[in-house]
Amino acid sequence: MNLVPYFIGGVLPYITVLIFVIGMVYRFYIWIKTPQPGKMTLFPATDSTLGSTIKETLFFPSLYKGDRVLWFFAWIFHVTLALVFLGHMRVFSGFIDRMLIDMGMTPDGIDTMSSTVGGAAGIILLATGIMLLVRRMVLQRVREISGVPDFFALLLLIAIIATGDLMRVGAHFDLEQTRVWTLSLLKFSPVIPENGMFLLHALLAMLLVVYIPFSKILHFGGIFFTQALVKRR
Amino acid sequence: MSQETAQVGHDHPVEKPKVVADQSKPVVTPEKIIQAIKAIDQGPKVLKLYMENCAKCGTCATQCPVYYGEQSKKYNPAARSDLIRSIFKRHCTTTGKLLGGLAGAREYRDGEIEEWAEHFYTCTGCRRCATYCPMGIDNSVITRKGRAILDACGLTPDTMKKVVRISLETGNTDGASPQAFKAAIQFLEEEMKDEHGIDIEIPLDRKGAEYFYVPPSGDVLVNPEATTGIAKVFYVLGLQDKWTMSSQYFDGANYGLFTGNDADMKADNKPYIEEAKRLGCKTLFMGECGHAYRIMKMIMEPSKWWGELPFRIINCMEFTAQHIKEGRFKFDLSKNAQPVTYHDPCNFGRSCNIVEEPRIILKASCSDFREMYPNRGENWCCGGGAGLSAMDDIIKFRMEVSGQKKMAQIRATGAKYVAAACSNCKRQLSQLMEFHKEDIAVGGVHDMLSRAIMINGKAAERVEYD
Repeated sequence: MNLVPYFIGGVLPYITVLIFVIGMVYRFYIWIKTPQPGKMTLFPATDSTLGSTIKETLFFPSLYKGDRVLWFFAWIFHVTLALVFLGHMRVFSGFIDRMLIDMGMTPDGIDTMSSTVGGAAGIILLATGIMLLVRRMVLQRVREISGVPDFFALLLLIAIIATGDLMRVGAHFDLEQTRVWTLSLLKFSPVIPENGMFLLHALLAMLLVVYIPFSKILHFGGIFFTQALVKRR
Repeated sequence: MSQETAQVGHDHPVEKPKVVADQSKPVVTPEKIIQAIKAIDQGPKVLKLYMENCAKCGTCATQCPVYYGEQSKKYNPAARSDLIRSIFKRHCTTTGKLLGGLAGAREYRDGEIEEWAEHFYTCTGCRRCATYCPMGIDNSVITRKGRAILDACGLTPDTMKKVVRISLETGNTDGASPQAFKAAIQFLEEEMKDEHGIDIEIPLDRKGAEYFYVPPSGDVLVNPEATTGIAKVFYVLGLQDKWTMSSQYFDGANYGLFTGNDADMKADNKPYIEEAKRLGCKTLFMGECGHAYRIMKMIMEPSKWWGELPFRIINCMEFTAQHIKEGRFKFDLSKNAQPVTYHDPCNFGRSCNIVEEPRIILKASCSDFREMYPNRGENWCCGGGAGLSAMDDIIKFRMEVSGQKKMAQIRATGAKYVAAACSNCKRQLSQLMEFHKEDIAVGGVHDMLSRAIMINGKAAERVEYD
């Protein structure tokens, strides 16, 4: 047995889930219990703190007012990322397929949808991700505040997106194999996928997931806390 | 932005604030500074979240009045905040401890505190960055933490130190004695007698008065028309004997907010609460001073510094605007014929939501009111926020860098009078007009009311103040 694929496919997934869950719970717990005296409200503020916090999280209205070009790339990037994340459910389980077939879709139809919508999303992600990277390198005000972790986070994401895209356009990909893999992980008797590109993609993705609780990528959770503080009346 | 504006700052190197180390404070050691930064881990929540959630997108820089004035890294809000953030990461985050620079963390460099005064006293604390930050990160909170550390090391700029000391010693930031204050009040009463031909009182130390008026001292000693405006409002409403000022405590200004020293801020605040209780007032009636009202309304009251209060806290502009809406006053608009605009002080607009009230007062008392754009919560800072307007050792910075955007904004309105409900804004704006050779008057909101309000069937016969 080759040790590297076994580690990536059979050991790392468990470590990843463990670190991610503990890390996230810990971070959120600390944030919730840290005391906050005084009010930090920024006006105009609405009566609904929750409503405006969710609005900020979903549509970035503050950024829209502040830097429209960045808003355009950032919003598309984040929304596509969320969609692609949801699309990946299909990679791990046949459940979605069965549901779609029950709703009247043909297996061929599902494949076509996956390759067009999913394929387009992959390209959009790559393009906007690269734009964000270029922006970070070119604009003085962003370059002068960027450090290693800022470039690392973007490069890691771009690498994950690129390896994912490659499986669409050239490299071999076997949907059945990933579903067997997921099921085997849940049964704690991992069946290791043999697809090299897939293993690389999975390795990078798990690296990202492990990195989230310890890095600024956690801003997707932090935004609830920071925005709620200034939106609270 | 044009190339021209982008270059201004580079032609004129910016001066440094004068700092004389305070010998009474213990020796500054790196450990002490690191300890102060590590304390952030225990809160307040805002500060801790701001250490861990900046995505480094650079949006703050596009909305900062200082960075607008000069695009250099030292003025980039995220870079300034990183002075503290990077040290916090080194000592309080897992990645920072393990990876150091690779995680954006760094160790405190011995002696760098000496340069911090320059950095943290070039942020105007206007909170505009927070309005546009996708995460809602308020860099002014980090600035205040930086200033708090400076203060604990005795490295607060001299001007600031002096203002805090004078205020704690005398109860007002001008160091005026009760006798001097009483003389100024008497002068204002005589002035109003000349204007209207009748006695309009400014009651002092009246126990049992319902309203206890606390202005910034400047609104009695420097731009007194705001206070005559208040006196006239009470007179017309028939509440002449229902309000009072204190001859000892007549200045809501509190520079503890600006030096980051919470103990000073509370010590400066306390006598006012005690005076309000002693006078038995039912309403603490705050004047045209943004940060004074913010401390009372958004910090002291909700944080319950002094427990439950036997009085409510309102701003004078809310009171007057309400009575204007009820049609209680008449105005002679010909007295204010020149175009007038309103500058939203950051502490009133973004921090306290007092935005419509000053407009109601100005629109009622002026014939040509013009909006400045953007305005209200999105207004640009005057460039003298967070106490900077008191610092004449950095006046070139205030005139050419931090105040540049404000100057352009005011010019675009074509106004001949800029009203600002804040003594700090007024000082900065007056200096801006003088520096940029603009013939535009600067004053308060009730000043305009004072000039146009009809008493005994006519408005004031006004001698030209200048």
